[in-house]
Amino acid sequence: MFHWLEERPFFFAVGVFLTIAFAGLIEILPSFVEASRPTVGTKPYSTLELAGRNVYIADSCNACHSQLIRPFKNETDRYGMYSLSGEYAYDRPFLWGSKRTGPDLHRVGNYRTTDWHENHMWDPISVVPGSIMPAYKHMFSKSADLETAYAEAVTVNKVFNAPYNTAITMRDGSSVTVKLPATYDEAKADMLTEAKIIANSMKNQDVKDAVEKGEIPQIVALIAYLNILK
Amino acid sequence: MGNNQHPLAYDYTVTRLFLYATILFGIIGMTIGVIIAFQLAFPELNYLFGEYGTFSRLRPIHTNGVAFGFTVSGIFATWYYVGQRVLKVSMAESPFLMVVGKLHFAVYILTILLAVVTLFAGITTSKEYAELEWPLDLLVVVFWVLWGVSIFGLIGIRRERTLYISIWYYIAAFLAVAMLFLFNNMEVPTALVSGHGSWYHSVSWYAGTNDALVQWWFGHNAVAFVFTTPIVAMIYYFLPKESGQTVYSYKLSLLSFWGLMFVYLWAGGHHLIYSTVPDWMQTMGSVFSIVLILPSWGSAINMLLTMKGEWNQLQSNPLIKFMVLGSTFYMLSTLEGPIQAIKSVNALAHFTDWIPGHVHDGTLGWVGFMIIAAIYHMTPRLFKRELYSKSLMETQFWLQTIGIVLYFSSMWIAGITQGMMWRATDEFGNLSYSFIDTVVVLHPYYTLRAVGGLLYLTGIFIWAYNIYKTISVGRKLEDKELNVNKSPMSAN
Amino acid sequence: MELGQIQAYAYFFFTAFLVTVLYAYIVHLYRAEKKGTRNYEKYGNLAINDDVSTTPIEQVGVAREPSYKIK
Repeated sequence: MFHWLEERPFFFAVGVFLTIAFAGLIEILPSFVEASRPTVGTKPYSTLELAGRNVYIADSCNACHSQLIRPFKNETDRYGMYSLSGEYAYDRPFLWGSKRTGPDLHRVGNYRTTDWHENHMWDPISVVPGSIMPAYKHMFSKSADLETAYAEAVTVNKVFNAPYNTAITMRDGSSVTVKLPATYDEAKADMLTEAKIIANSMKNQDVKDAVEKGEIPQIVALIAYLNILK
Repeated sequence: MGNNQHPLAYDYTVTRLFLYATILFGIIGMTIGVIIAFQLAFPELNYLFGEYGTFSRLRPIHTNGVAFGFTVSGIFATWYYVGQRVLKVSMAESPFLMVVGKLHFAVYILTILLAVVTLFAGITTSKEYAELEWPLDLLVVVFWVLWGVSIFGLIGIRRERTLYISIWYYIAAFLAVAMLFLFNNMEVPTALVSGHGSWYHSVSWYAGTNDALVQWWFGHNAVAFVFTTPIVAMIYYFLPKESGQTVYSYKLSLLSFWGLMFVYLWAGGHHLIYSTVPDWMQTMGSVFSIVLILPSWGSAINMLLTMKGEWNQLQSNPLIKFMVLGSTFYMLSTLEGPIQAIKSVNALAHFTDWIPGHVHDGTLGWVGFMIIAAIYHMTPRLFKRELYSKSLMETQFWLQTIGIVLYFSSMWIAGITQGMMWRATDEFGNLSYSFIDTVVVLHPYYTLRAVGGLLYLTGIFIWAYNIYKTISVGRKLEDKELNVNKSPMSAN
Repeated sequence: MELGQIQAYAYFFFTAFLVTVLYAYIVHLYRAEKKGTRNYEKYGNLAINDDVSTTPIEQVGVAREPSYKIK
């Protein structure tokens, strides 16, 4: 029987495939039957936050920063409450990272502010002496890709039913609706409104000017994203 | 039969193309690796090329460059060599397979070059080792299918009925990577759905914890089926051939094969210990990682025992040195990996530099050495020239070995130091160190690691030079001089 | 039955099945060698005698010889 298999490359390949597919069939596939359920208070990303998330991805922030707080006392002391599965329900892709060359960022919005990020991204050593993180000055002059962020929100809304334009109950019982307008122009207007609030707490004049002109520098979108990581 | 007829010979056209690619991507990928290693020690180096030169941009180019550039072209180069030889069939016998092989190379080169460009531009999905966006993923599928056609096509016209164990490992690598790649890269192009934004952008089909699960099922097994099975395929051919010794136990090689196939896929969960994936999957990942020692060591010990009674070759032949040390590093990293997968060890090791340290034991020591040896072995046969310099090979071997030792010893210390400092508390239970303290303390280890990397890279340049000189000025060999096991090499 | 239970049963039976097959394979390898029906160790030579002109250990179909081609 065994030798029969060894002499027939096609059936042999089928046998190999079944053996290696075994783990995936049993372990991975069934998990997808149960969709990720969001925890209370988890809401989809606004288009500006998505634009910022895409900046985070484009510059591979996840190469050095994790977004996964493990259930150990030293981690919860340092970063806050340990991470829950449902908090990632709208993360496509997930950004847990695999290496902490820098600290975890899953709840960075709880303890860092817009101006802290602004100074830090412009010149990390001025804020954290000894830091080995590079400065990301290009984010202050380059514009975020707003239309792609809008496209992404529309896609997750259409394909994966991400609950935009739907009231979502927060942990304190209040309810929040994340808007996703029907046209890109409306969405862009919303993003600019959001961006202005952030730009107002920043000091970089070029950034402020750009937002006045209707452009959103990458740094503003990125800070919008980092601020909601809580 | 007149004078214009020749006895059938193996046709290495495609092998030669992939051999050049292996050397090219080895240089690119490892040079970038050394640059980012120095950046961690000396952050000013981040500003050499504006936004395109930061650690975060370069890191994916390094990983993709060495995994899918250097290693995969090495795999393809050896496939087009070993495949013909153990099946006893020449590519020249099938014009169809010849076209497939050349097309395979063309699509592959195009894909990897585009990958380098897009990653520099920051076009990435962020999923480790699956960073390429969907248009490039489609190209990957094309060249992978072409490789499959080549494998099964060559098998279809073989003379030798029994498939040698190396062929088993190539088949497994082909099938598993195809499966893993397809599942992990399921993504929805946003422009197609919404009609807005950049055409190449996509979102992952999976969200959050599920995405992590699929990613590390892929990520871990990409290691298994790119860095392990095809490399085992190589050593099962090149070590016996170079030493003239048949595999110590062919039966053991078959058993290890099935053991590896069965166990490896379960081990992916060890990347997600203490994360939010279900507990039983974490435990499964941990347990199977430890079971994995058996089939891994089965292959490695089989290789070392193949040299039984012939250990004098270790002294006389640098290629045997590369391969034997490669097997030893394979044993080391397949023991280290399971140790790191034990939950309590993982709590300390995860997220620290011990992990890149572990990866590089395997990639520099095992994958790198094996591919270097394979290319050295093939070159005289591909170009009918004697290897240019044995002494350069010796120099390269020792430089690289020292480089690896510096690399992993510094990363062991760095990782454990960092892990201990993160969890250290004072007498009142407060954290003893702020995060930056745990970064500053690593400076000497980062420097040592970068120096280790630089030594290894120097070896890579020596290797490229030696191959170049062999091809251009090496002594020409008669066919009968090639009909030997030990690779012909010049003593100087 | 819950999904988790089905997974657990499937896992258990598949694993038991594959382990049985693996042991049967070991028995097969040694028994075939002992009875002289098939000696697996001879396949180790495939890596050594790999010139295109050497005779295969087990020929596929009729020997395609002499293998000449016009250059």
